[in-house]
Amino acid sequence: MANDFDFVLIAKILPILLQYLPVTFEILVFSILFGILLGIGIALPKLLHINVLRQIITIYISFIRGTPILVQLFLVFYGIPALLMIVHIDVTRMDAMYFVIITYTLSNAAAFAEIFRASILTVDRGQIEAAYSVGLNGTQAFVRIVFPQALRVAFPNLANTMISSLKDTSLAFSIGVMDMVGRGETLIASTTRALEIYLALSIVYYVIVMLLERVFKSNERYLNRYMPKEAVSS
Amino acid sequence: MTIDFAFIFEAFKEISKVLPLTLFMTITPVLLGIIIGVIVAFVRIQQTKFFTPLLNFYVSFFRGTPIIMHIMLVYFGVPFIVDVLAKALKLNVQSSSIPIIFFVLLALTLSAGAYASEIIRSGILSVPKGQLEAAYAVGLTFSQAMRRYILPQAFSKSIPNFTNVFIGFLHATSLAFFLSVKELTGVANIVASKNLKFLEAFIAVGIIYWGVSAIVEWLAHRLEKKVTAYNKGGI
Repeated sequence: MANDFDFVLIAKILPILLQYLPVTFEILVFSILFGILLGIGIALPKLLHINVLRQIITIYISFIRGTPILVQLFLVFYGIPALLMIVHIDVTRMDAMYFVIITYTLSNAAAFAEIFRASILTVDRGQIEAAYSVGLNGTQAFVRIVFPQALRVAFPNLANTMISSLKDTSLAFSIGVMDMVGRGETLIASTTRALEIYLALSIVYYVIVMLLERVFKSNERYLNRYMPKEAVSS
Repeated sequence: MTIDFAFIFEAFKEISKVLPLTLFMTITPVLLGIIIGVIVAFVRIQQTKFFTPLLNFYVSFFRGTPIIMHIMLVYFGVPFIVDVLAKALKLNVQSSSIPIIFFVLLALTLSAGAYASEIIRSGILSVPKGQLEAAYAVGLTFSQAMRRYILPQAFSKSIPNFTNVFIGFLHATSLAFFLSVKELTGVANIVASKNLKFLEAFIAVGIIYWGVSAIVEWLAHRLEKKVTAYNKGGI
């Protein structure tokens, strides 16, 4: 490694790395969308106390929370082709991108399920009874009364999960996805300037996380708009 | 391709040999991180003119970037700084003689410090101000009040958060695999490539991480019960 630090190089590679930002966002957006859907799906058996299903889901959530995302990535990358091979479907040539989205979806779903469950339980039972008393049915009571309140409670946790999920996407390169980090790795190979390139990557992540945090903060204020001021600001 | 269950057991035995190293790589950064975190939290609460913005940046940068970046920046940045300093001061130090594990420990410690400081800060802020005033009223100094009243309460409230940080950094040690450190994931990869049985090796290492995380959670739960035994609520 050369014994000087090249600031100009950082400025030169930032635009190159930014071209690959859409790939990172593609992973993030799909895994969050599918993660929310799957998360709601697996939160329901726990909320409704469906016995066997509930236990399977508890194990699933504990496994996801108990293992590194890197190991989950490898398990999906090697495990799904092996599973599908049993039913004679060959997916070994499938784009690594799909494995990454599947892994982050599974991982996000576990986090989202716990967040949804906890936030729905924070809504007072009397709220549903009040909704019934004014003539709403179960679905209406949930959609109009319980869900908006649960969302307000869940939102900060959802935002945190999304931000840590964004940071987790930095590992997608390990199974060969050409995202920002993957492109960075190829740039390191061609320029042998690892420090500058990792610094540039860190700057990109840092700026995006800061922007996302700002967006989430203003959303949070919007969701809390009907709350008494003291309770929110303190 | 079928799954070789016997090999999972083989791999499990082989990989679990490096569990002590992984635990060492987890415990050291978390403990040092808590020390950094206490200092950073106090400085940030005190609102000094120079240090508070600096530490705010430290905390937000480390929380805003992936841990893999911290490891890579330290791994490539520290040797660079060491070499420049050694040249300038004419010291006979060579960055290549620093073991890789040192970089991983340093990166994880800096990272853990940022996360721990936020936990401690929110822990301290969660103790009502009246507690401090009550301590003053019976004649304690600030540091006595902190040590005997505020910090014990802050820590007992922070146990679930610290458990998460501990498990988070247990999982973060898997990133040392990228620097070819022979911790759990690194060895799993070696065992996998040697026998060309990737799925089995990663199932084995997954079970190890899962087991350790479950034990940590169980221990933390017991500790939490113990330290909150005096706080049974109003009734």
